Amino acid sequence: MRAGSNGDQIQEPITKIDKLIHEPSRYTLMAYLYVVEVADFLFLLRQTGMTWGNLSAHLGKLEAAGYVVIEKEFLGKKPHTTVRLTDEGRNAFEEYRGNMKRVLDNLPTK
Amino acid sequence: MVADVNLKEIQRKVYMTFFQDGLWDIFLGLFILGWGLAILTEAVYLPGVFFTGIYFTIWGIKKWLTYPRIGYVRFSRTSRRRITARFLILGTVVLLLGLLAAVLWGMGTRPQWLADYFPLIFNGMLAAIVCFVAYWARVNRFYLHAALIFLGAVFHLWLGIGWEFGFIGAGGIIVLIGLGILISFLRKYPKMIEEVQGEGRQ
Repeated sequence: MRAGSNGDQIQEPITKIDKLIHEPSRYTLMAYLYVVEVADFLFLLRQTGMTWGNLSAHLGKLEAAGYVVIEKEFLGKKPHTTVRLTDEGRNAFEEYRGNMKRVLDNLPTK
Repeated sequence: MVADVNLKEIQRKVYMTFFQDGLWDIFLGLFILGWGLAILTEAVYLPGVFFTGIYFTIWGIKKWLTYPRIGYVRFSRTSRRRITARFLILGTVVLLLGLLAAVLWGMGTRPQWLADYFPLIFNGMLAAIVCFVAYWARVNRFYLHAALIFLGAVFHLWLGIGWEFGFIGAGGIIVLIGLGILISFLRKYPKMIEEVQGEGRQ
């Protein structure tokens, strides 16, 4: 069936969409980390406009999935947190973008 | 979502943070001022001293002033290599320009047109380098800086203002622009202190 096969074409990449990255705030974080090697907490906070708590929660989820590495250190007496994307996170992000592109490309035009 | 978030745009936004504090404007302005002072005092080493001294000072100030306000980011290795290559090219061009200027100026029999229009050629080359930075970093105000540098020579040739004063005027205005940007940056981004348990405070 034509409609069915078209539906499968759309469905197949949709099921592969990584829901963890699909959340807009986490996608934005991943995108920022994708274009740099390492960024600190403050940089991500300023760039994304998230609150401290929000950013912390999203990064915690990404860290639990193994997508980012969070390193805490002290510069003098001040705490300093840096974040970087792992290879796994980088691959997951690329895969997510590829899948999303395929989903959107397979949508019928008006 | 994928269509909304353009990675190139994000990369550009990240690069722009490099110029957000106005410190590179101040660096350029002081360097141009250095040229003016070098012509005025005939101390040819001044631009070099200004360039090196201010360059390292700016990095120090950035660490103390900028990073606690907007955070720290390290570009990817590929980007860093690209930036270094561009700076090397730029540095080589500036060096060659300086050598060319010294050789041409030191020639006993230089053509008349060269003697007449030397300031225009020299300032034009400096302005072209600044335009290159503006284009590469997409910081439009650097085009204005380039125009100011070029105008210094134009005013010298057609209004009779001393060449050195063209440099000093342009450099001074660029420093003032940089200071204005720095002040608005400091107002916009207060220092933030990261806290261990969560909420940051300003």
